[in-house]
Amino acid sequence: MKKTPGILLSLSMAVVLLLQGCGSVKSAEEDFVPKYDKDTEFSLTVAGSYGNFESLEAEFERFYEYYPNANLQYVTMDDYNNVISSALLNSEPPDIFTTNSWMIGDEAYNDLFDSCEVLSDPSLDIDYSCIKESLIRTDDSDRVLMLPIFTTSYGMLVNMDIFEKEGLKVPADYGELLTVCGKLKSAGYDSPMMGVDRFSGSGLYNCFAYPMFANDVIKNSDRIDALNALEPSSGELMRPALERLDEFVNSDCIDLEKCREEITDEYDSVIMRFFEGDVPMMFATGDVVSGTAKRESRSDAFVAHPFQYRFYAAPAGDDGGYFINSISICFSVNQHSRNIDMANEFMRFLISRKELGNMAGLKRLIAPLDDFSSDGIYSGLAEIPEERSFSDKETGLLDPAVRQFRAAIYEVGNGNMTVDEAVAAYGKIPEE
Amino acid sequence: MGFILFFIIRYANARAEESSKNKIVTFEKMTMTTNRIIANYLEDEQHLCDIWVTYINSSAKDGAPMTAQDAVSFIRKSKISQETEGHLIFPDSPDRAGISTTAKVSDPDDYTVSYGNIDIFDNIESVSGQDNAVNLTRAYTNPMNGVQSIAFYDHVTVLDEKSNERKDALLMRVVPLSRLEQKLVFLKGEYENAEISLVDSEGNYVVHGKSFKNSNFFEYYKSYNTATAKEYEQVAEEVSGGTGTMTIRNYKGEDCILSYTPLETVTSWILLAYIPAGDLAASRSVDWLLLGIACLGFILLLIFNSTVMMIYNRKLSDAAQQANQANEAKSSFLSTMSHDIRTPMNAILGLNEMVLRDSRDESIRVYSESIRAAGNTLLGIINDILDFSKIEAGKMEIINADYSIVSLLNDLINMVNKKAEDKGLVFITDIDGNIPTTLNGDEIRIKQVIINILSNAVKYTPKGSITFSVHARMAEERPDSVMLRVSVADTGTGIKPEDIDRLFVAFERIDEKKNRNIEGTGLGMAITQRFLGMMGSRLEVESEYGKGSVFSFELEQRVVNREPIGDFEEAFRRSISERKTYREMFTAPQASVLVVDDTPLNLMVFVSLLKKTGLRIDTAGSGDECISLFGRNHYDVIFLDHMMPDKDGIETLEEMKTIKDTPNKETPVICLTANAISGMREMYINAGFDDYLTKPIDPEGLETMLLQYLPEDKVTYSSGQDDAGSSELPELLNELEELDIDSGLTYCGDAEDYIMALEMYSDSADNKAEEIETYWAARDIKNTTVKVHALKSASRAIGALKLGEYAAELEQAGKNGDEEILDIKLKELLSRYRKLGRDLEPLKKLTL
Repeated sequence: MKKTPGILLSLSMAVVLLLQGCGSVKSAEEDFVPKYDKDTEFSLTVAGSYGNFESLEAEFERFYEYYPNANLQYVTMDDYNNVISSALLNSEPPDIFTTNSWMIGDEAYNDLFDSCEVLSDPSLDIDYSCIKESLIRTDDSDRVLMLPIFTTSYGMLVNMDIFEKEGLKVPADYGELLTVCGKLKSAGYDSPMMGVDRFSGSGLYNCFAYPMFANDVIKNSDRIDALNALEPSSGELMRPALERLDEFVNSDCIDLEKCREEITDEYDSVIMRFFEGDVPMMFATGDVVSGTAKRESRSDAFVAHPFQYRFYAAPAGDDGGYFINSISICFSVNQHSRNIDMANEFMRFLISRKELGNMAGLKRLIAPLDDFSSDGIYSGLAEIPEERSFSDKETGLLDPAVRQFRAAIYEVGNGNMTVDEAVAAYGKIPEE
Repeated sequence: MGFILFFIIRYANARAEESSKNKIVTFEKMTMTTNRIIANYLEDEQHLCDIWVTYINSSAKDGAPMTAQDAVSFIRKSKISQETEGHLIFPDSPDRAGISTTAKVSDPDDYTVSYGNIDIFDNIESVSGQDNAVNLTRAYTNPMNGVQSIAFYDHVTVLDEKSNERKDALLMRVVPLSRLEQKLVFLKGEYENAEISLVDSEGNYVVHGKSFKNSNFFEYYKSYNTATAKEYEQVAEEVSGGTGTMTIRNYKGEDCILSYTPLETVTSWILLAYIPAGDLAASRSVDWLLLGIACLGFILLLIFNSTVMMIYNRKLSDAAQQANQANEAKSSFLSTMSHDIRTPMNAILGLNEMVLRDSRDESIRVYSESIRAAGNTLLGIINDILDFSKIEAGKMEIINADYSIVSLLNDLINMVNKKAEDKGLVFITDIDGNIPTTLNGDEIRIKQVIINILSNAVKYTPKGSITFSVHARMAEERPDSVMLRVSVADTGTGIKPEDIDRLFVAFERIDEKKNRNIEGTGLGMAITQRFLGMMGSRLEVESEYGKGSVFSFELEQRVVNREPIGDFEEAFRRSISERKTYREMFTAPQASVLVVDDTPLNLMVFVSLLKKTGLRIDTAGSGDECISLFGRNHYDVIFLDHMMPDKDGIETLEEMKTIKDTPNKETPVICLTANAISGMREMYINAGFDDYLTKPIDPEGLETMLLQYLPEDKVTYSSGQDDAGSSELPELLNELEELDIDSGLTYCGDAEDYIMALEMYSDSADNKAEEIETYWAARDIKNTTVKVHALKSASRAIGALKLGEYAAELEQAGKNGDEEILDIKLKELLSRYRKLGRDLEPLKKLTL
């Protein structure tokens, strides 16, 4: 008799899975069908700020399967954010270029967006329905001028081998975090958690506290305007996150002095220190994670003693961690491109579940898809429930408010301000 | 053919390899040409930049330095190309700011330019100020228009309008990178897939070829080529250090040729020319065509050769078939010969045996003995030929069984001793007393081997001695075996060293001319060697021509009874005793035998040979007659001839087996046949016979076989019969000292025949003695010796052994021509002869 509920549950799950399976078949995207003659000869240039873009170059190769006479090139532009607007107007403009979500609404980029193709134009036949709706940015006219290619998040890299060796589970909430850190400390790990002490999106404070703060902002959306207007009273909204941060930095979980000494920059140093193999948890963003694959072979320690590692949300909340999904880069099409049709054709090819998934896999970033792959390094994020998963667009926070929060956590984390002082100083906290 | 094809392919490969190498060399040359073109272009651009610089600096030298605006205005006027820009930068300013000849595309009124966020000036100090040097930046994004560009630069001195002081500035001639790329278009004509890249000493791309991924060439190499850190460093050093070519893998995993050389004008830059290796591979179509033609030619040649070979093979096959037919004919001939010779020999020897048994005439007995000897020789020759035929056909088998070594030695010595004695040779035996009594081996073949050797020794030794030695030693690693070493040494003619190898060649006879009077087929030694080979041994020969030979071999035999034979004389006597029992005549008047043969003479011989056994013998002349008797009467043994007209022995036997209502269900049927060639025994046993007896029938063999198959209760051994015979003899015989009655009875068979022989001896004594005296009186020593020989034989036959020995002595003296002895002893011999004749005369009265 006792088995009956279990059996029913199993059957229900099987039926659900079966239906999902059918659904996925039904909604599966068809293979890309080229619009133009496959013998069309054309060249396209994609401009961006990445030093190299191997995952995009891999997509070029896949695109050549449909258009073997195409010639696509990625160009790294110096001083990208300042130069891209001019580059779009010159005699050799890029056909496709990278954009960032923060550019939209910034007057400096008005000209840039004036040059952008409207990707939501139905005649272009670009189906971006696979992209998570909360990650789609539109202009004031509700036009889609940029489409996200990669997204990122804030959390921590976890050395799975250490946890297995010590017989521990990756902590799911703040209480478990303190317990696990205590055990790791006892096991000889001086600083169970590490990260870079910087005033930036990649800094350890941001990775720990910002998702929690964003969650509080979403829950208090009526106060978002005051927050964006940097009204001092709205600084109170930072209190829960600041208090949790203050509690955390004063716990046994982290040795800040050690972090400052041993981690000197927010990218290379973070990865290489983590690869030393003696750090159970390292605060990192998705962008940092994207650099891990290449650096594995550069780390003598990792080559000598490789280990398994994964990315998890930092378990700052009492109920668990928060998965905030932020846009890393977007692609826009230059409407003045000399090969505008083929540039749009490439976008039509690229904006698909399959190709975006491929690119994100190669780049080790999070695909902007509504059901990004839970395989591999980001599989831990899939365990976070819907109510604690959101995109930064959903917060409604503007860049100035975000910068004030970063300044507040930097000051509190380093002990330069108390929580009360930081809350009271909202809007006027010095920024770097 | 394979070798030629291999050679062609190798040659073609070598040519293709050479061709590819040549193409790579040409590609390298193209790289150098490109280098020159680029160098020329860069020098030209630098020269134009230098003109600007020289003009601006000349103003400063003249004491009227230009302001930055003046300098830019001058450049604006002097530059011809719209694409080219001049940037005058103050490197020491916070944002590396300055003035451009062209306004920003995004703001037509803005001529200010800033290099604050573009790190292209890191190495300026180290490269500037050199004569004729090209001062060139890496490819970068022109901050004024966002175009990927390169810049040529040099230092100028201008007047700072604010401070009215001279100020160092950097004058840059900014050229779109595409201008440089256009110089490389010529490549497409010759090498469609070739790509040119320029990298700095650290591998960062200045000009980026389409196939080169990553932002750094060395990173690219590392990404797609499996290399250790050391190899990677080696490649980096090689590429940054000089000119050369290497093969690398591209992002598709294809082999590519990379030609590299430092840029002539900017040696810290490296020119990389890249092309897929396949594009430089020599076209192999002609090679494959030639190879195809060669293959076709070879196939045609192969077909031609095969046809010719097939024709030859067919001829060879026909020849082989003919040879097989000839071989079959030979086998058939041997079979026929065996049968056809043995059948009459059966009659000859069988009837001769009867003559020997029944005749009382001494001379007839002597003739009969000669017939028996000649017949046995003939049989030996036939047997040799048949044995050799068996060996050649691979059908000769070694059949091991337990045997008595004493018995074997006795037989051998008995067989050879007499022959040696007859020839006046001394036969010496040297038998090891430690030889185990009973061994396991093929007694028949061993005996045959030793007989062959001993017979040869006797044949080829005119005088002197023959020494027969048998010794035993323990076999190493086989505790249950013994190694018998048999050797026969003679003082005969010996063998020349060059003839020893011929000794074992079939049908070869050594010293044929000299030995022409010695009978033989030339098979004996060949058979001996083959038999020994089959038993794991070989015959060794040591010989000295004219002095004698030693033939020896060593044979492993399994030991059944380890008891040593001890003193051979004693063993010999024991063996004689055993053999006497074995060979004794038997009687079996209650037993009945059926013998079937289509030849009446053979039936007669068979019946005669067994006459004295008292056996009831029925005869049948055909298979049908046999079957009739088989169903009607009970027989203890049936002898059935194989080769019969109408229904042969096997067919008859098959029919007999189908008869259920017969008293002979358990009766053994023995095949009687003249067939003695290889495989016959197996054939008869397989056909259902219980045993097999060859013709001519060996009387002793026949009796032995009967003793084996007759029911024991019907057999009475004949040892008592002799006593009975002896008791029937007249008493007077016991009183005659000259007579050994037992010997006489043994020789003559029974008392009746013995008395008849004694009577004949008595009757002829005077006449014979007279003849001898007459011949001796005439000094006819030859006929005297012949008559003495006859007297010897006759005396021995009646048991007058001492008289026989005395006659033998005189016979030898006669042979030796020793008249003196004859003069002295002949008289006594004849005297004793006459006396014995007279002493036997009363017998006539008794028998009348």
